[in-house]
Amino acid sequence: MSSIVIKSGVAVCALAALAFGEGFTFSIGGPAAAQDFVAKTAAFAFRTEGCADPASAQINGTAEGLVNGSRRSLPLKVTKMSKPGVYAVFQNWSGEGAWVVNLKGTCGTEIAGAIVPLGTKGFIRESSKFFARPATDAEINESLKTLAQGGGK
Amino acid sequence: MFEKHISRQLAAYLDDQLKPAKAERAEAHLTKCVRCRTGCEEVRTGMAAIGELPLVEAPETIWFSIQASLADERPRRRWNLKIAALVASLLLLALSGIIFPRVARPARWIETGAGSRAIITIGNIGSVEVGPNTRVRVVTDRPNEHRLALAKGEIIAKISAPPRLFFVETASGTAVDLGCEYTLHTDERGDGLLRVTKGWVSFDWKGIESLVPAGASCRTMPEAGPGIPYFDDAPEKLRQALNVFGAGKSADDSLGTILVEARVRDTLTLWHLLSRVQGADRARVFDRMVALTPLPAGVSREKALRLDPQTLQHWREELAWTW
Repeated sequence: MSSIVIKSGVAVCALAALAFGEGFTFSIGGPAAAQDFVAKTAAFAFRTEGCADPASAQINGTAEGLVNGSRRSLPLKVTKMSKPGVYAVFQNWSGEGAWVVNLKGTCGTEIAGAIVPLGTKGFIRESSKFFARPATDAEINESLKTLAQGGGK
Repeated sequence: MFEKHISRQLAAYLDDQLKPAKAERAEAHLTKCVRCRTGCEEVRTGMAAIGELPLVEAPETIWFSIQASLADERPRRRWNLKIAALVASLLLLALSGIIFPRVARPARWIETGAGSRAIITIGNIGSVEVGPNTRVRVVTDRPNEHRLALAKGEIIAKISAPPRLFFVETASGTAVDLGCEYTLHTDERGDGLLRVTKGWVSFDWKGIESLVPAGASCRTMPEAGPGIPYFDDAPEKLRQALNVFGAGKSADDSLGTILVEARVRDTLTLWHLLSRVQGADRARVFDRMVALTPLPAGVSREKALRLDPQTLQHWREELAWTW
């Protein structure tokens, strides 16, 4: 009986740690947040959080667009900033249509993902979404559809 | 003030060899004296013509005759040669600016009319568009420092360079480029507005500094320097209250409005307010900031309230991720 109680207690603690622990994720900000003049013309900056060794994180992504009803996908131009774990995204997509940035990152065994919509005045923080996994195609398409309909701007 | 003509100083004036005060007097004289202006143009033309002359090597026979002269009067010539070499070296060092650094001649003002604009190229780091009815001059133009003085009007600066290479002085402070594009408008008294479209600008005046990121603006005031930055999309009530606060009227009411209306993003404004208010008001600003966004690790209430520089800088760098 006592071993069952102990095992249950350990399980509860593990679940609590999962629920409240700081996992690997992204946070986004304006170019000035990068604290690096190189980011001056960037669309936005982002940084990794919850990564024990930010310099070793693997980051990639794509710019996903909906232009005249057609889906587009471009490799993303992500530049490392002087501070480890901080990056800037530079626009390499056209100004036409609706575009979001799809970010993916790994830190050790942990994975993070984000969808960052881009509006006429830059990235749209309120509509950005963050995941503990890569974003799915359905989630990307949903964000594009909302953006194209004028939502989230 | 010069009453005599300055024909003997013209070459030195054109070659930036006059001391600043003398150069200014020369400049003032040239605006009034036709004779010296004409002389100045002649000297300038002559100097340009010399520069166009081809370089010709001296024939070897000249050296033979010099050697022969040296052999005849060797002891005295050697001593004189040493002195001459020393003088020549000193002259060369002086001309190169090593021992007598050149002092830049104050540049002329650029003044645009109601319907005109101008472009100033800033080294190879960018350009400045000068708007109508604007008076501006280049103060310094060196690889490690480019400095303009804006007396009145509007400029739009687009700079691509490491920070702190480009500066614009106004009557109410100096805009320090930190890698940016911005519009700076000022009148002769120093009342003005700095609006940043890309990057980040620091506006300094007598130890008071405002950091203005893209999407934000900052008023400047004579004898008070930079105001408190605010985002251009900040609530109208917040911006109005900031104007009232900045003018020193109804400070308590306006501070209350600023705090109530502030969004998370407006912690840009609140962070600057921290150092512009005292005592209980500072605590109110701090408490509102913490209510809007969690205090980052390493920032304590005690250190923030006593304006510890490292604490404030760290807090600002963290807050920037929410702006």
